[in-house]
Amino acid sequence: MRRKRIMGIGLTLSCIAAGFSMEGCGGAGDNEKVEIEIVQYKPEASNYFEMVEEEFNESHDKIHLTIHSPNDAMAILRTRFIREDYPDIIGIGGDINYSYFVDAEILADVSDYEGLSEIKQAYRDIDESLELVETEGTFAVPYVANAAGIMYNREMFSEHGWEIPKTWDELLTLCEEIKAEGILPFYFGFKDTWTCLAPWNSMAVDLSPADTAKQVNRGETTFSKEYREVSEKYLKLLDYGPSEPFAYGYNDACTAFARGESAMYPIGSYAAPQILSVNPDLNIDSFVMPASDTEDGNTLNSGIDLQFCVTADCKNKEAAYEVLDFLFADENIQKYVDAQSAIPCKEGDFTLPSILDGMLDYIDAGNMTDYQDHYYPSEMAVDAQIQTFLIQKDVDAFLEKFDTDWTRYNRDIIRLVQEYEEEKANAQKSGGAE
Amino acid sequence: MKNERKRTFLLITIPILALFICFNTIPLIRGVVYSFTNFKGFGSYDWVGFRNYIDLFSDVRVGKSYLFTFKLAIVTTVVVNVISLMLALALNSKIRAKSFFRGAYFLPNVLGALVVGYIFNYFFTYILPALADMAGINSLSTSILSSQNTAWIGIMVVCAWQAIAMNTIIYISGLQTVPEDVYEAGGLDGATGWKKFRYLTFPLIIPFFSINMVLCVKNFLMVFDQIMALTKGGPAQSTESISYLIYNNGMSGGQFGFQSANAVIFFIVIVVISVAQMKFSSRKEEQL
Amino acid sequence: MMKRKANWPVMAFLILGLTTIAFPLYMTFVIAFKQPTEMTNSISGILSLPKSWSLDNFREAMRVTDFWHSLGNSLIITLVTVALSILIHSLMGYALGRNKARSKFYGFVYLFIVSGMFVPFAILMMPLAKQTAEMGLGNWFGVVLLYVVFYMPMNVLLYSGYLVNIPIALEEASRVDGASTWTTYWKIIFPIMRPMHATVAILTALAVWNDVMTPLIIMAGSNQNTLPLAQLNFQSQFGTNYNLAFASYLLALIPILIFYVVCQKQILNGVVNGAVK
Repeated sequence: MRRKRIMGIGLTLSCIAAGFSMEGCGGAGDNEKVEIEIVQYKPEASNYFEMVEEEFNESHDKIHLTIHSPNDAMAILRTRFIREDYPDIIGIGGDINYSYFVDAEILADVSDYEGLSEIKQAYRDIDESLELVETEGTFAVPYVANAAGIMYNREMFSEHGWEIPKTWDELLTLCEEIKAEGILPFYFGFKDTWTCLAPWNSMAVDLSPADTAKQVNRGETTFSKEYREVSEKYLKLLDYGPSEPFAYGYNDACTAFARGESAMYPIGSYAAPQILSVNPDLNIDSFVMPASDTEDGNTLNSGIDLQFCVTADCKNKEAAYEVLDFLFADENIQKYVDAQSAIPCKEGDFTLPSILDGMLDYIDAGNMTDYQDHYYPSEMAVDAQIQTFLIQKDVDAFLEKFDTDWTRYNRDIIRLVQEYEEEKANAQKSGGAE
Repeated sequence: MKNERKRTFLLITIPILALFICFNTIPLIRGVVYSFTNFKGFGSYDWVGFRNYIDLFSDVRVGKSYLFTFKLAIVTTVVVNVISLMLALALNSKIRAKSFFRGAYFLPNVLGALVVGYIFNYFFTYILPALADMAGINSLSTSILSSQNTAWIGIMVVCAWQAIAMNTIIYISGLQTVPEDVYEAGGLDGATGWKKFRYLTFPLIIPFFSINMVLCVKNFLMVFDQIMALTKGGPAQSTESISYLIYNNGMSGGQFGFQSANAVIFFIVIVVISVAQMKFSSRKEEQL
Repeated sequence: MMKRKANWPVMAFLILGLTTIAFPLYMTFVIAFKQPTEMTNSISGILSLPKSWSLDNFREAMRVTDFWHSLGNSLIITLVTVALSILIHSLMGYALGRNKARSKFYGFVYLFIVSGMFVPFAILMMPLAKQTAEMGLGNWFGVVLLYVVFYMPMNVLLYSGYLVNIPIALEEASRVDGASTWTTYWKIIFPIMRPMHATVAILTALAVWNDVMTPLIIMAGSNQNTLPLAQLNFQSQFGTNYNLAFASYLLALIPILIFYVVCQKQILNGVVNGAVK
């Protein structure tokens, strides 16, 4: 008897459950509507995208838009690509994944999209140079960029009369001053390996060529040569951080900085919403990482944080463009910029977040260089290698491993590049002969 | 009559076997096929012959992940079995509220490993250092997950915390098969404590001991959720388990072909170890 | 009397051991109810009870993880998997258990299926993602089918092991009465294996309920979450608010905790049964 009752409960439960899951599958009632699906990789902006989805669907009768903002979107996108189940539009960063997707011909050429002309040339150039080998066409529309440098606590700085450093020596002097006041200069969240890349990138743009990775792929230089100064200077920063930099993750570091436990935090502008969520009253600003010994040697580390690509599989490109038009409307970009402290890639009169005040000169002058790590393959785990390096503090071993690992992980890319270069050279030769 | 029986068995076996082959064997073969390519997980790919396998044996990171995984599996297996044997003996002795204790000690096993990992992550990062500070233990005043030398201990603790439950139950059921008169006979001979356990109890529960060993080693070699929740392979890549590396570089990274080769080797290693363990323990049983 | 006294050290040992289980759970419980402002690094602050027992954290965590929906998905996947496992695995265990010693074919099939236990999921992951999508199984039913296959090795091992204890004479008696093998199985063998059904149900249910990877790979993009999957999404988005995060952890643990407390006896017996075989 008792067993029967349990079975009964089980059955009822499964009926209820079935009811629940049915709800999710419905919604395909209107056959006339074109379905457009976006998967974008910034879960922290999910609120913004929920709003976009809602407003778009309210104002458009012909198109129904769905936006997904999953955690670990890259793994999800990859499984979906394996299943050949492509979303119509993907929102990704301007990094090596984008390069791979272009190479794999997953993305559609969007050079006929009209909105493209309003995108700043600097960012369109970044996308071009991300292509593994030059590829005919445009495959992404840059949405917003971010910038990495050093964030600082504005109140703390004005209280003590500290100046924004312009060169490496000034930065070290400043750190000493801060330390002398009994305040911690930097906070780090190195338990999350990717945070090790933030100072790395912003220093590397000052100290090594913008296309270091590409030069190495062409066999023109080595990382041991180009990255030595960056590595040595990076170690110096550790002296001014917390005594246990590897105990805390990104979230912990943001919290600590927000609570005024350190004067500065070398991280990208993307951290601002996180920091402000802990302490909304905090007055923060940021400045360009002064890794170079001269002021002119410095450049702002800025790259494409989010861009939209239409997949080659998208059935209705026009509808996709209409969605893009909506996303790229000035007021929507402004909302995103406000919510995520980002830099718009579109030309126009936008109000930039105040945390970027210290970087405005560079932004206006277009003195910006893309992140070096946008060229690193993720499976090489450069972030973890830098973390290892920061723990072991052995510059030579680190750089040597960097070079050997690079040739190993990029073997196929290097071959591709060299074949391409050879072909180009041959074409020129035969072109010249004619 | 005989034919009817044969036919029925075939009719049962064939479709189920087909299902198994369809969702286990065929994908396994496909995985093996991918291990001979430089497939990234999307786009086109080339055949690379045995390149992935050759690379595998010279890849320091893969080598380190094997070392780490084996270290973790061996130490955790020992710790888990020692503690669960002690617990099983205690829970099988004459105590009050026996069923309450058994129920409570099994609890960790029903909880999801991922969530338990998250909870312990917080515990190791904040609570343990605070407790250590209070008690004045300097070596514990920083998070054990932040150092290359100690992070694996944190993972070991979480794995053991959950696995002890199952092993204890298996030992208890083993102890229950030990007849009372064995003890009585032993009691007459004056066997007590450790000696009684070593010479009377333990030989009788050897089959359960070998089940536990095989299960533990296999499960800990495949450790994944705990790494995901606690360290994500860090610090300094010191806690990358084999499964973690395969998932992280194969799925999220672009090394699908290479990591498929890694998975093939890993599969062979696990089968060899498990078979060897079972052979070894069955020989031991025969000796007794 | 003497004996009872002698066992107090054992009791003390057990109670001490219990704290290692209770303490993390207590912390989870307390933190889930606190507000961010109550979080301090002092011992008394860590251990103290929350100032008020407000359910706000839970309400918010339920909203973010779409709790009822995810719970519904988890329930249906678990229940269907368990039902199918009992039906299919017991049949397979029966067919193989009765024949593996006498027939080379069945002996081989038995070893073949049981060795499936050692296949790392990692190698199957990508091919399965592709295959299920090709077959239109990129949904909860695909996940269920995969579970039925994944847990087949273990469960077939358990069933065929249990079958050794069931004398074949029982079946022969039924056959003399003119019943077919099929009928005999359902009328006689299936009910006799009841203790093993309980074991299989429990072990399978626990494994399915807590699994993350399979639904992650198979149902990605289908807009459907299971409870652990929702948890995974939650982790990084709201990582700073530990109180909210812990409320969500607790929410993920509560269903299985309730299940365990209610069916504790059956679960322990079931596991013991499985272990003895």
